[in-house]
Amino acid sequence: MLELKDVKLSYGNTQVLNGVNLSVKRGDVVSIIGPSGTGKTTLLKCINYLVKPASGTIVFDQIRMDYQRADKAAIQAIRLRTAMVFQQFNVFKNMTVLQNVMDPLVVVQRKSTDEAREIALRELERVGLSDKRDSYPSQLSGGQLQRTGIARALAVRPDVMLFDEPTSSLDPELVGEVLKVIKDVTSSGITSLLVTHEMQFARNISSRIVFMDRGVVAADGSPAEIFDAPSSPRLAQFLQSELAFQ
Amino acid sequence: MDVSAMIPELLSALPLTLAITFTAIVVGFCLALVASTLRIRRVPVISNLVDLYVSYARSVPVVLQLFVAFYGLPLLVALFGAADFFSPNVAAMVGLSLYHGGYLSEVMRPAYLAVDRGQHDAADSLGYTFRQKIFRIVGPQAIHIGLPGYGNSIIYLIHNVALVMYIGAADVMATAHLIMERDYNQYQFETYLVLAVIYALMCLIAWLIIRFFELRSPMQAPEATATTQIKHALISNA
Ligand SMILES: Nc1ncnc2c1ncn2[C@@H]1O[C@H](COP(=O)(O)OP(=O)(O)OP(=O)(O)O)[C@@H](O)[C@H]1O
Ligand SMILES: [Mg+2]
Repeated sequence: MLELKDVKLSYGNTQVLNGVNLSVKRGDVVSIIGPSGTGKTTLLKCINYLVKPASGTIVFDQIRMDYQRADKAAIQAIRLRTAMVFQQFNVFKNMTVLQNVMDPLVVVQRKSTDEAREIALRELERVGLSDKRDSYPSQLSGGQLQRTGIARALAVRPDVMLFDEPTSSLDPELVGEVLKVIKDVTSSGITSLLVTHEMQFARNISSRIVFMDRGVVAADGSPAEIFDAPSSPRLAQFLQSELAFQ
Repeated sequence: MDVSAMIPELLSALPLTLAITFTAIVVGFCLALVASTLRIRRVPVISNLVDLYVSYARSVPVVLQLFVAFYGLPLLVALFGAADFFSPNVAAMVGLSLYHGGYLSEVMRPAYLAVDRGQHDAADSLGYTFRQKIFRIVGPQAIHIGLPGYGNSIIYLIHNVALVMYIGAADVMATAHLIMERDYNQYQFETYLVLAVIYALMCLIAWLIIRFFELRSPMQAPEATATTQIKHALISNA
């Protein structure tokens, strides 16, 4: 349902994506792993056009866009069908938890306030934040902020969820509560892309693992293939360093 | 003659003083909005001209800016063949609006840029249009960040209104000088004291209004109501 072809991007003189190819089928849970600074976040941001790739093509069901001829309607159509969860949460600071989840429904999807409220309350229940719905972001822990971010993303009923290292700016003791929610989301059948450094978690929940290295997809396979029989020395080395770290 | 007789006389100049101030607040705000937008968006040539305007407004002494407005504007309209309609009062309004607008744009632009990039990313990724993003997410946060600086700029403006007497506008300051000359300078100290109280009151009111908006801005749940917080702030200020 989602395909990226030969995506290239550079920030100034540094080439970050060197021709990435990736294809995701409906219902896939794809974890993207790889060394820091290799372009994983950038790749996710290409999908909803938060960054501007220099070239390449994105295909999203019947939507097809060449990045060199970016077109507003296609970008908007893709944005409406994906939802992103950010490493830094990016919860709207001027709104309560409930408003954060409701606002996109009212403003972007033009739902009535009552309907938006109903959906938002259901999603907050799902991530275990019902009691915090009237709190402002400045009053919440990192784990609560990230669960707000996840509820906001789920509420728009996306076809694809994009998780960008959702737990890597959390204190260790808060990681568990967020991973639990993500596991619940991915096991519900929603197509997901997850950038993560949580190797064990990725292995458990993913149908596929993509190893990114130096701006390209360097390996792509089932969790068993990637973790038990790494196809390249760089992948083996990366896995070893991650496991040593954990 | 009683000292207190001059108070109503001084106050009679207050409406003009306030009119100049309000004009500068309103026109300056609009100018600042346009200037900050153009400087953030970087339109070639136009943005450079706006940069020039902002550095003029911020670096030339305000009293000089008033002289420039007073002597320059008639020349400018003459260039277009229009009759000179610039009274000192109008020149004061134009001069201070230009000053305040330039100064304020350097409050607005940093406030906008201080809003976390991630807030833009989140709104964009959810499909907000640019307008929706500005009005619902980025604007309110920028206002929250910029309000204290805005309060300062208003207070500077009020202080600078006292300079309009140099181009002959009859504000409270100019009126005070007229009174003193007429009364053979016997009540100089008292007159300046009353003047000081008038300025202090104007600043206090401006500060209270801005403080009210600061406390109301929804970045966190209000722990106390705005009015009780203002009361506390006043006490700690006094
Ligand atoms: N806005 C930017 N301007 C310039 N360089 C950037 C920008 N964003 C990212 N980069 C650079 O691009 C490279 C890829 O960044 P990216 O965030 O995609 O990496 P990542 O794989 O997500 O890394 P991490 O695991 O640390 O999150 C990095 O070298 C980074 O320094
Ligand atoms: Mg990253």
